[in-house]
Amino acid sequence: MVQSSRLGARVSLIAFALLSAIGWAGSAGAVTLNFLAAERPEVFKPVIAAFEAANPGTTVAYTQVPFDSLNAQIQARVGSQDPGIDVYAADTPRIPAFASRGFLLDLSPYEAQIEATASRTAVGAISADGKLWAFPMWSSTQLLFFNLDLLAKAGVPPPSAAITTRLTWDAMLDDAVRAQKAGSRWGFTFEQVDRYYQLQPLFESANAGSGLSGPGLLTPDITGPAWIKTAAWYGALFASGLSPRGVSPEQTPDLFANGQVAFFVGGPWNFDKFDAAAKLHFGIAPVPYFTGGHPATPTGSWAIGVNPYAAHKDAAVRFAEFLSVDPEGNFLTVSANPLPPTNRAAYARYIARIAGLSHSIGPAARDIITYEMANTAVQRPRSVGYVAFEDVMNHIFSDIRNGADPSAALAAAQSQLTSTLARVR
Amino acid sequence: MRKATVAAVIAALLFAFPLWWVGVSALRPTQDVFRYLSPLSVWTLLPLHPTLSNIVGLWSSPFARAIGNSVLVAGLTVVLGLATCSAAAFALAVIEFPGRSIVFAVLVVSFLIPFDAVAVPLFGILRSANLQNTYAGLVVPGIGNGLAVFLLRQFFLGLPRDLRDAALMDGAGWFSIYFRIYLPLSVPALISAAIILFVFQWQAYLWPLLIAPDPAYKVASVAIAEFASSYNVDYGLVFAGAIFISLVPMIVLVGFQNQFRTSVASSGGKE
Amino acid sequence: MRQHHDSLAAAVFLAPALVAVVVLRLWPACEALHASLLAPRAINFSLDNYRYIFTDRTFLNSLEVTLLYSVVVNPLQIALALMLALLLARELPLVGLWRTLILLPVAIPQSVSAVIWGVAFRPDGPLNAALALFGIGAQRFTTSPGQALASIIVVVSWIGIGYWMTFLIAGLQEIPPSLYEAAAMDGANRWQRLRHITIPQLRRPLTFVLVANTVANLLVFAPVQILTKGGPDGATDLIMNEIYTRAFVTGDTSSAAAASVVLVVVTLVVVAVQFRLMTPREQ
Repeated sequence: MVQSSRLGARVSLIAFALLSAIGWAGSAGAVTLNFLAAERPEVFKPVIAAFEAANPGTTVAYTQVPFDSLNAQIQARVGSQDPGIDVYAADTPRIPAFASRGFLLDLSPYEAQIEATASRTAVGAISADGKLWAFPMWSSTQLLFFNLDLLAKAGVPPPSAAITTRLTWDAMLDDAVRAQKAGSRWGFTFEQVDRYYQLQPLFESANAGSGLSGPGLLTPDITGPAWIKTAAWYGALFASGLSPRGVSPEQTPDLFANGQVAFFVGGPWNFDKFDAAAKLHFGIAPVPYFTGGHPATPTGSWAIGVNPYAAHKDAAVRFAEFLSVDPEGNFLTVSANPLPPTNRAAYARYIARIAGLSHSIGPAARDIITYEMANTAVQRPRSVGYVAFEDVMNHIFSDIRNGADPSAALAAAQSQLTSTLARVR
Repeated sequence: MRKATVAAVIAALLFAFPLWWVGVSALRPTQDVFRYLSPLSVWTLLPLHPTLSNIVGLWSSPFARAIGNSVLVAGLTVVLGLATCSAAAFALAVIEFPGRSIVFAVLVVSFLIPFDAVAVPLFGILRSANLQNTYAGLVVPGIGNGLAVFLLRQFFLGLPRDLRDAALMDGAGWFSIYFRIYLPLSVPALISAAIILFVFQWQAYLWPLLIAPDPAYKVASVAIAEFASSYNVDYGLVFAGAIFISLVPMIVLVGFQNQFRTSVASSGGKE
Repeated sequence: MRQHHDSLAAAVFLAPALVAVVVLRLWPACEALHASLLAPRAINFSLDNYRYIFTDRTFLNSLEVTLLYSVVVNPLQIALALMLALLLARELPLVGLWRTLILLPVAIPQSVSAVIWGVAFRPDGPLNAALALFGIGAQRFTTSPGQALASIIVVVSWIGIGYWMTFLIAGLQEIPPSLYEAAAMDGANRWQRLRHITIPQLRRPLTFVLVANTVANLLVFAPVQILTKGGPDGATDLIMNEIYTRAFVTGDTSSAAAASVVLVVVTLVVVAVQFRLMTPREQ
């Protein structure tokens, strides 16, 4: 009896060892990557499927985090060295801050591939301190949209889509005022009101600079006459009733789609919404500029960063690379998401799709988007203190929009930024 | 009586009015959600082109799972929380032991600490216990609720001392005094404490986002925030989600209102 | 002997709650306290973070705003909750439904409540349209430094009054009717009954509601973050908004920790004072 039980024990031990060896070998190749971003799952489904097909044994688990909280999540989780995130979407202006805090894996070994497939602007957007910290994925730009019916009612000729006849802000505002007098509820609105992303080009166009200067771009510089003049210009839009107060950036596109505003400066992601709006007839033109200044448009979007504490770093880098360097991969990321991709080959396919959108505006959109991204795009300042800077600036823009005196508001912001950025240094 | 009823109805309708707008907006196509705000028309309060597309879209997204998670997490929190908090309140109100006020002070201080301020260190602690993306990670921070302990202690202090003294003289142990005497008398307070625990979990957003972002464990308040992408918000879906998120507590609370009334009936009428 | 047995029993009853509170609230709070004593990139303890926030205009403003807000909102909400509780504690037809409708806003995710009120407060929105019907001009609500805090108070009250009302109703229903009968026989009128029976009998629930409401109002954050972001001009920059911004936006975790410690101390003082005021001497 003892004999048989001992034999039984030996057999089961061997069986157990064999089974676990098989199980272990089987799972040695199976890797699950955790990918965090702010988009709905449908956006990344195609590219994840393609990657998994090309890399059997690797699955990608995508987790959507609400946009407002993504950066806070990264800070909390990567900041506490959580290996549970492998790859995440990094907002390009935040990359210097993330890099300095150790939230991103140094990707300089992949410099060759990245520079071969992305534009110089895109590469600049993911660099800090002479190193590369993320794989570029998307970029952005802006266009001027206008409501053809509201303009016709006011007898305003629709602006041309040609770059050579780009409107000045003065000219566009004149048209907007006329449209409003003829019955349009509002004359003009930005899409992302009160946001530095949207308004920085105004100051660049007026030759006022980005607002940060000095070593490391950590010295606030927002009290010069050009800054005050442009800020006053912004505040006057609302004080005069041309633009609405109190409407959040998420709700401004609806104003245009519902035919309540004549001119709208916004991104190409609005095409689907505006095309779907039944009674809306719209045209597009390049974003206006200030007389005596130069045209400037916002740019930049999400890039893909790798967590330096990731559980599967190699697989993570391969996936991130696929999303950026691989032309098919990069294109798949925008197949369900109308943002311009950074990969040159993917961009060619994207822009061809834009051109085919509708014969009235497709070719114009193609030309404007390509021109702006190559010639007038201004990067947000590459500073470790960018996030703090942007937060204060957004508050100031909101206050100015609500009627605060520009020079007082900017002076207060300047002193606040000086003390806040000193702590970041 | 009639004046009071009219006043009650008016008050209730004033509070519920914005929810009506949310419900109507859930039945509108997304592009109509902000269309009829001003000037006021009958279409502000009724959908011109009613559609079920938001509701369909909502339930074909992982939202169903998220509501299920919210219900499970809130339910577990209420059950475990009531047991934990009523036991602690009992000790603090009924049993006399040295250091009682200090322990009470410690518990009170705990609910003064803003949760958001400790969320990140707490996240580190629970992650090192491997409670990330688990129901335990979601439920556990909601169980020791200082406010619920405070409420229950207030209630227990209001029950007559003789109950306890008589039972002690009969040789009853503390547990049977707690379970057989105090608890049955405390139904309204337990319901109030249950509401506190439930609302804490139902409203929780930052914590579930940190500890359980995985789609399998995601709760409804986080899921609803995901109908916003970085450049577009689908308000039709958001509002449809809001209606369903409110339906669950509404059903539960209406059910509990009956409990309130029966306990009143048992204590013999009111004003 | 009895005492030893009692202490042991008490420990058993208290164990789960105490463990939860110590591990999940007090220990992380100590970590935050620890972080608040370390200036950025410093190794030694110092009060630098405290010095920084107490000379920072934005933080001092947020303390003022929070104080102003608390002084207005707490009496307002408790008075309204009490009035509603007195109204709805009776057996009115369908009273359960009316109570639930008033309580329901607290069950809606705060992000959605904020969006709803954001839409209502839009200068081109339904509230101004309704006011126009009465001939009142368009108000600026959250876009005006003068009206923004009042707007936040409206939102927070809409969310919370039903919640506090519910606890007061429970308290009202515990008052023995015999007290009222005796008073009626003595010829007391409605106000006298309220002052001499109802309010004193409600002392415990009222203490609870007062303390809990004060604490909840000191921690208000979501409506501010979504509707005004602390503006315009810092008029609605409540202290939790400051803490969140420092911790999660600016990334200055040490000053956020210091601000949190200040908040907890202020809350402790306020709550202690309230307890002292509301507890009669024989307790």
